[in-house]
Parts: sequence; structure tokens; C-alpha cells
Amino acid sequence: MQSTQEIFEQLRKVLSELFEIEPSQVTLEAHLYNDLEIDSIDTIDLILRLKELTGRKIQPDQFRHVRTVGDAVNAIHALVQNKPAAA
Amino acid sequence: MNEPAPARFAPSGAANRLWRIAGTGLSFVFFGLGALLLGFTIWPLLRLFTLDRRRGIARVQRAVSVSMRLFLWFMETVGVVSTEVHGREKLRERGQFVIANHPTLIDVVILVGLMPEVDCIVKQALWHNVFLRWPVSWAGYISNATGEGLIAACVAALRAGRSLMLFPEGTRTKPGAGLEFQRGAAQIALAAQVPLRPVTITCDPITLFKGNAWYRVPARRAHFVITVGEPILVAEFLAKNEAPPLAARHLTKALTSWFDVSVSQQLREMRRETRPKG
Repeated sequence: MQSTQEIFEQLRKVLSELFEIEPSQVTLEAHLYNDLEIDSIDTIDLILRLKELTGRKIQPDQFRHVRTVGDAVNAIHALVQNKPAAA
Repeated sequence: MNEPAPARFAPSGAANRLWRIAGTGLSFVFFGLGALLLGFTIWPLLRLFTLDRRRGIARVQRAVSVSMRLFLWFMETVGVVSTEVHGREKLRERGQFVIANHPTLIDVVILVGLMPEVDCIVKQALWHNVFLRWPVSWAGYISNATGEGLIAACVAALRAGRSLMLFPEGTRTKPGAGLEFQRGAAQIALAAQVPLRPVTITCDPITLFKGNAWYRVPARRAHFVITVGEPILVAEFLAKNEAPPLAARHLTKALTSWFDVSVSQQLREMRRETRPKG
């Protein structure tokens, strides 16, 4: 089981690898689109990478309401916590 | 660059400004009525009498191109703007991916008029505009609202050998600020593996920029210089084998600085020519 802190750190690493975003910019409050300039095409790549990392199926729906890094951490946390594989 | 010819009918002196305000208003009316008139006659008829959908769209695109040239001729004849195009013949080639900076409202009029057939990416709002919904529908333009499907649609257009045109800024340039490019153009060029044909548009004195009311005409007639550049190749960005999001970021950065340099150089040259005469 991963804590939200671990997920946050991992997400920081992924964002830096995929999009060259400075880890210091990645805070829980940072807005993915407005602050980190992650557009809809990037989101697809991000979800693909998260699928690999978590080994879980991710439906784009589960990320529909994600706006900030904090939202993303919570969504991933929920994913790895309870749902074995999304239906 | 050549000295623009003086406007044929425009009065000189103090009356000139009033003339250009009236001329600009008249141009807007002419544009709107023209779009409505053609939108209910020639354009739909071209589509109706062409069985093949794509060929129908191509015919409308050619007709729209002619209409845009006519409209620009009107504005130039009235004396509202003057234009000067360098490398016009390069835009006659088909199957190109054309990108341009976007200082004014009439950039698209100029560009579409210079290209025989082109798929334009236009904002979704135009389908709700009384005047513009007809040209954008009949000409088969691509809406920017389709999200992820948008890149695929653009790549498909290029693969089918059609030309594509978009403004990477996504909206008109904020005067005084640097250029800010969205990543869409880079994403399309990388996915389709095609070069980008850059067109540099400068307007001095600036007119019809974002947030500028149409009746606030500049002190003298606005002059446009349009320069068609040599293709920007994407091979080196593909060769690095970076993940698509990174490659798109790097290409976008390169495109932005290319245009930053090109626009400021062109603007400097224009001003150098006009300044000594006051």
C-alpha cells in the first residue's frame, strides 16, 4: 500500500520525466493545466504512464474531475487502495 | 520591401481618418452580407451538385479563397489597408502544413486568399456565429473543440494530401507581449511527420488586434507584410526518439523562437522604411 506522500513523490518524478516540469513547481495545489501547462494530449500520455506504474486499468472517467496535482494524487490513491481492476 | 501605392480614392489630410473609419465599417458590412449571400447560394450549390463529399468541399474552399481575395481587394481599394506578399508562389503548392503568427483579425482572410484549397482549424464559436457558420460549414473546416480527435483529424487531412492551416497562438497576439504558442501545431507535425511552412505576418501601424474596436483606426493606413518562409523540418525532433509530449514541447519552443525572431526583424525593417518620412 502506498501512502499519498509516496504517490505525490512518484507523480513528481513522472511529471519531470514526461514533461520536463521542475519538481519544485509540483505542489499539491498546482493546477495541471494553468500552472503546469499539461494539455489534453499530455493527459493521455500521463494516464498511459500511470497505468504502467500502478498496473491498474484506468478509465479516463476517473480523471475527469482532476484539476490539481492534489486531485490527481487522490485519484491514484483511490485507485491503488480499493479497486482491484476498474470495470 | 516596396513602398505601398497610395490609396486610389481615399482623401488626404484630416478627412483620411474618417474615410478609413467609414471604410472599415463598410468592409465589415460587405464581409457579413457577402458571407450570408454566398452561404445561401453558391457554396451550398457547389456542395449539392458535387456527389463526392471531399470534391465538393475542395470546390467550396476554392470559392472561399476567391471570395477572400475579392474582399481584400475591396479593403485595399477603399484604402483601409495595404498588403505586400513575399514568396506568394510557395503557398500555391498543395499538401502543406502552414502555420502563421496571428496579429490581426484579417490574417485569415489574407492567408486563405493566398492558398487554393486549405483545411483551416477554426474555433468552435464560429459555428454559432450568424455570418461565419456558413463558410466554415460548407468549406469543411475543422473545429478546435474536438479535443484529442482534433490531432487525428489534422493528421488525416495531411496524409490525404490536403493542405492545413492553423495559428499556433490559438488566438490573436496580445500586442506588446511575446508570442505564446500552444503545442497543437507541433503535435500535428510530429504525428504526421511533415515539415511546417511558416508565414510571418506583420502589420504596422497595428490594427484590428485583440480587444481593439474596429472604429479605432490607426493614425495612418495599416500596412501588412506577409513573408512565406522556407519549411521547418521536424526530422531532428523525431530523431531524438523522445516521448511525444517532450518532443512536442521542444518543437514548440523552437517554433516560438523562430517566429519571435522573424516577426521582430520584419517589423524593424518595416519601421525603418517608414520612419524617415515621418
